[in-house]
Amino acid sequence: MPSVSEPESVAEAAEALRSAGASAERVSIRADGTSVDGAAVLSTARLNRILEHEPGDLTAIVEAGLRLSELRAALEPHGQMLALDPPGDPTLGACLAADLSGPRRHRYGAMRDLVIGVTVVLADGTIASSGGKVVKNVAGYDLGKLFSGSRGRLGLVARLALRLHPRPAASATVVVETDDLRGAWQEIHRSQLTPSAVDVLPPDRIALLFEGSEAAVTRQVETSRGVRHRDTAVWGESAARQGDRRPVRFAWQPCLVGRPGIGLAWVDGRQPEPPWPLLAERVRAAFDPEGILV
Amino acid sequence: MTIVVPVSLPNEFRAAVDRIAGPGGVISEPEQLRTYECDALTGWRAVPELVILPATAGDVQELVAACNRHQVPFVARGAGTGLSGGALPVAGGVVISLARLNRVLEVDLERGLAVVEPGVTNLDVTRAVAADGFFYAPDPSSQQVCTIGGNVAENSGGAHCLKYGFTVNHVLSADVVLPTGELVTLSRDDPGPDLLGVFVGSEGTLGIAVRITVRVVRAPEAVRTLLGAFATTDAAGDAVSHVIAAGILPAAIEMMDALSLEAVEAAVAAGYPEGAGAVLIVELDGPAAQVLVDSAAVERICRENGAFELRAAEDAEERARIWRGRKSAFAAMGRISPSYYVQDGVVPRTRLPDVLRRIYALGEEQGLRIASVFHAGDGNLHPLVLYDDELPGDAERAEALATAILDVCVEAGGSLTGEHGVGVDKVCSMPKLFGADDLAVMARLRASFDPDGLANPGKVLPTPRLCGEVPGPYRAHPLERAGVAERL
Repeated sequence: MPSVSEPESVAEAAEALRSAGASAERVSIRADGTSVDGAAVLSTARLNRILEHEPGDLTAIVEAGLRLSELRAALEPHGQMLALDPPGDPTLGACLAADLSGPRRHRYGAMRDLVIGVTVVLADGTIASSGGKVVKNVAGYDLGKLFSGSRGRLGLVARLALRLHPRPAASATVVVETDDLRGAWQEIHRSQLTPSAVDVLPPDRIALLFEGSEAAVTRQVETSRGVRHRDTAVWGESAARQGDRRPVRFAWQPCLVGRPGIGLAWVDGRQPEPPWPLLAERVRAAFDPEGILV
Repeated sequence: MTIVVPVSLPNEFRAAVDRIAGPGGVISEPEQLRTYECDALTGWRAVPELVILPATAGDVQELVAACNRHQVPFVARGAGTGLSGGALPVAGGVVISLARLNRVLEVDLERGLAVVEPGVTNLDVTRAVAADGFFYAPDPSSQQVCTIGGNVAENSGGAHCLKYGFTVNHVLSADVVLPTGELVTLSRDDPGPDLLGVFVGSEGTLGIAVRITVRVVRAPEAVRTLLGAFATTDAAGDAVSHVIAAGILPAAIEMMDALSLEAVEAAVAAGYPEGAGAVLIVELDGPAAQVLVDSAAVERICRENGAFELRAAEDAEERARIWRGRKSAFAAMGRISPSYYVQDGVVPRTRLPDVLRRIYALGEEQGLRIASVFHAGDGNLHPLVLYDDELPGDAERAEALATAILDVCVEAGGSLTGEHGVGVDKVCSMPKLFGADDLAVMARLRASFDPDGLANPGKVLPTPRLCGEVPGPYRAHPLERAGVAERL
């Protein structure tokens, strides 16, 4: 049975990693305590506090083991959100370590675009921070970016400072049915519609999520009816709409997405991770020379 | 400050440079070299041994490989508009200018991207796609001349990054010549750590980008620019806080204080309201219906917070008139002061009024005037410390005051720089914000890209030679202060 440590503080996490390193024990950093190849587990389950939330600044500082649902619940009364909708209910640490995102990446970017500061713990127990808690900051290297997608192999993401967004007053999903998916995507992309998400559902549907003020959402829904199509259905989500229309979640699913800068791309999310590029392996060797982290 | 260390380059290196760049691509005449002795931070100067102007990405790679072979330090340079000395040459080293790599290589609007060489100017990216209704969003105020390569190095922002994000949010991939001479492609979609995200904003210390793919976005349906005049910066600052708290995300929120208004009026007669202690420019863009709702809300918030005059620009001409004053503000300082020092600090947005008061108090203590022109929406301050370089000791006092302003920003939970970069200007201030372990880990990262320390040495991370052995007074990192003290 692999050993599991559940540190309650960044200092305890550093101590756990340092002692594992001293006994040449391999460690896998996981939120849920599952081991990789029998390695000892460093679980972030008890690093799950919200350390700070400044509604006026639209920023929050959280520990890595906090679940997205817990953060969501804490922010909701303030009319704020972390603009990230990955599948399931991952921890914030996992969101960064795997650079998770969901349909609304179209508008808000992925986790790496929402992290403004991090505290990390390296395999030798070194604790380091970068960034801060302000939304604009170019002092020093951005370790938040470095640890984005690092899958626990560069060290532990212990704390994260996050940029928040106001919750939109209204939202609606438009499903366009079309004989010409590519043409319809082109038309949407070149239009002045500002969808928060664009999911292309072959063979013949495109789902568009609109968010904003009630008036702006209504107007965009109307405009999107002009997109080349056979039929357009509108599924509303806002309180005002739920009376007469079926409420539908714009849920994450393996599908084609339309994204600025990417075009149409297939998103599955369950592919095995390809090997890291040589340069990334060099960085890994500099951060974990003994190869403690798996 | 001028650093002169006479070092001659190895003959073999010199021969390699001549072969790679050709006779027209190498500058070695002392008079011509002086053109490159500083960037827009003119207080620091160093004359490089050579300035090399490669014509292709392949040439850049060969040059960097030659630098590596002969262990010659190099500094990449775009348009030289940087404000932190990021392109300050290193004595005994060479400057690699990317000015000749200035082609837009590809525009693909179906995917919403443009592929450009690093010497292309920021505005030329927008020019390449404007006819189709697209634009490149990051807009540093030097956008007419500054280059995309420089923007990538500095992670440049601009007035509209409040809504649209910074350079790092708009770069999709980059071909980078590493300091080892290897050519790699860093992409947003690479497996593993986000090395592209690390590279953007690394201030030329991790390599040279030779081909950059950026996002271009659709121009908004509607734009509305509001100008509000307030009695005090406190009132204007409160209006900013309330706009943010109301869940409105303007494209830009800019503030100018009374002294900057005086300078701007003298310089360009922008026609801003008279008697204002502060003016806010709030620009809203997006779907017309959203802009309508938001601008009504912003106008109401401004009035509730004491705006005594509100104007709205409805067309491009009126908008340009409002922005003309803001954009000419730095240059306009010449009307009211012989010299000025531009500071770049960041504070949490809710701390703006309080921090501004402390900054003005510092100015009064020192007997120096401070004008503030800044990106209020994201808490990015640009206090301009006015001084007279004819007066003995005035420049030193101005610099000391600018440094004290940074201390105020850091104490308020902010940062040393929001968009101008660390460069050489703030390298010795880094320990105000980061502890020894933070900096050591950043140094590990740097060494894994640049084991020999050849790329832009002396920038970003403090060294004992540059800053002395003893780092500045330790202050807890903002993340640390938020939780329990846990620095070991």
